[in-house]
Amino acid sequence: MLTYFARRLLTLIPMVIVISFLIYLGLELTPGDAVSHMVPPDALSMMDEERLQALRESLGLGKPFIVRYWIWITGVMQGEFGYSLAGGVPISKIFLDRLPATLELSFAALLISTVLGSILGTISALTRGSLTDQSLTVVGMLGVSIPEFFFGLVAILVFALNLNWFPVGGRILPGYDSFWDRLPHLVMPAMVLSIMMTAGVMRYARSSMLDALSRDFIRTARSKGMPEWRVNILHGFRVALTPVIVLIGFRLPVLIGGSVIIEQVFQWPGIGKEFVSAVRSQDYPLVMMVALFSVLAVLIASLIVDLLTAIIDPRVRLGE
Amino acid sequence: MTDANATRPRTRRDAQFDKIRDREAALAGTRQRTGRFMSKFLNNRLAVMGFVIFAVICLMSLFAPLIAQHDPMSPNLRAIAKPPSAEHWFGTDKTGRDVFARVLYGGRISILVGLGSALLSAIIGVIIGVYSGYVGGWLDWIAMRISEIFMSFPQIILVLLLVAILGQSLLNLIVIFTLTGWGGIYRMARARMLSIREEEYVQALRSFGLGPARIAYKHMLPNALGPIMVNITLSTAAFILQEAGLSFLGLGVPLSIPTWGNILNAAQDLRVLEQNWWIWLPVGATISLFVLSVNFIGDGLRDATDPSQQG
Repeated sequence: MLTYFARRLLTLIPMVIVISFLIYLGLELTPGDAVSHMVPPDALSMMDEERLQALRESLGLGKPFIVRYWIWITGVMQGEFGYSLAGGVPISKIFLDRLPATLELSFAALLISTVLGSILGTISALTRGSLTDQSLTVVGMLGVSIPEFFFGLVAILVFALNLNWFPVGGRILPGYDSFWDRLPHLVMPAMVLSIMMTAGVMRYARSSMLDALSRDFIRTARSKGMPEWRVNILHGFRVALTPVIVLIGFRLPVLIGGSVIIEQVFQWPGIGKEFVSAVRSQDYPLVMMVALFSVLAVLIASLIVDLLTAIIDPRVRLGE
Repeated sequence: MTDANATRPRTRRDAQFDKIRDREAALAGTRQRTGRFMSKFLNNRLAVMGFVIFAVICLMSLFAPLIAQHDPMSPNLRAIAKPPSAEHWFGTDKTGRDVFARVLYGGRISILVGLGSALLSAIIGVIIGVYSGYVGGWLDWIAMRISEIFMSFPQIILVLLLVAILGQSLLNLIVIFTLTGWGGIYRMARARMLSIREEEYVQALRSFGLGPARIAYKHMLPNALGPIMVNITLSTAAFILQEAGLSFLGLGVPLSIPTWGNILNAAQDLRVLEQNWWIWLPVGATISLFVLSVNFIGDGLRDATDPSQQG
């Protein structure tokens, strides 16, 4: 197990290095003076040309590319992410401010889609070929075909503007920042964000459940005279669920992709919304940093998924 | 038939054999594989329905100048944000442009972006994947590492990053989609090649002294066409959704060109969302219907071509 972990980690590290290198290359090649994202802008505005030159020297901007990359990457590892061009805010501060909102939204969507998707998928598998199964399949197809933001627009129109059940957007009203005050804001974005994933999980859970139900141990359980619901839930569902949990880790990129657009639709103050406005205003340092950290998140998620699979299934860590 | 048969009386079994022989003779000229593929595809009601919807939307967009009576770009200040009527089937938008015409003309660009990017990334992915999957070695290693780098980015983050660097234009968008999309089809083509690389016909071809490119593209590629076609349809659907999402954010195709996503962009304004439903609802429904039909086609193709599902 430990050797497997070490080997997996060893393949990850070169990947992180190459990607951070590419990101830095992007930072250097995009227009803008490198000083502007390395130094607080108000300090910069007070400098004359001579001190600016000295500053460049001390930041190592005259040194070869590899050295500059090294200076940058060691800085990033110590939490110096540089400064956003728009407003000159430290990028680490933007992350700290915005990340909780994004995590809250993603976690809620993840929870909804996992629970709903695996339940619907199981129902679909148990009633295979029936009308319920067929209509669930079509509904799942609708879920992956309709653009998420279109769902969001319809939801805003119906539930916020017409029925007034939920607020149109935003996350917190000033003065009301307890979890229960925030909950109504969270409901619609989380539901909409979870739709595409629910459909994916449902599809996967259905085939995984069908696979589990055709195994020998299910027949054994039945032959022992166990009631049908016990066979399905205790034996089928439990076995079918493991690959579904694994799938969820792989869905992280889908979730990130969805949240970028959904945060915009519902004016949710998260990283995704910040990223979109950074792309719009060509705030390259911020764009590059968000990209770097989303890649890190994906790589770490896939590492965790691999480890979980290895723990559950010994064939993975022993073979290859 | 033969003399021996002629001398003895014909039985019912003889008649049966004759029938079977006739049937086989009739089929001898046709290609059985295509026949089975077509019949499987046509038996899938959803796939056929999907294909019909797909064809109708494509044709309507293609012949937009003949169908739409209004120009999609020219504003009409006397008809601003009018609801649907006999004159304007889907109403008009905030500058008085006919929404129906915009949806038709928008379909041209959206479908072009979706289908074009899917085909381009399939061509790149297949050319690299088929060859490197068969030959292996350092070429395969490098291609695999490059695709790993591309695929470790969440797709929309990479797309937006490239939009920020390259700038917004129709051509750039297709290039960006192709760059971010080739990895999936490359991996699939490569995996397929790996699984048929050691088959006997491939070994036989090798022993005849055929070059690797010829074996890979001419003899092995046709055996991977089924999954490749499925992949092209599914990525067309994905790219159309992405174009719509990006244009909705105002970061896709420049707003001056009507596309499905650009038309939906107007719905970011809450007043439009609440009071002018005809500006955004029909377009959203069209996108959904189109993507749904493409997904049904993809599913039908998979069922018809996947050998593991034949039986």
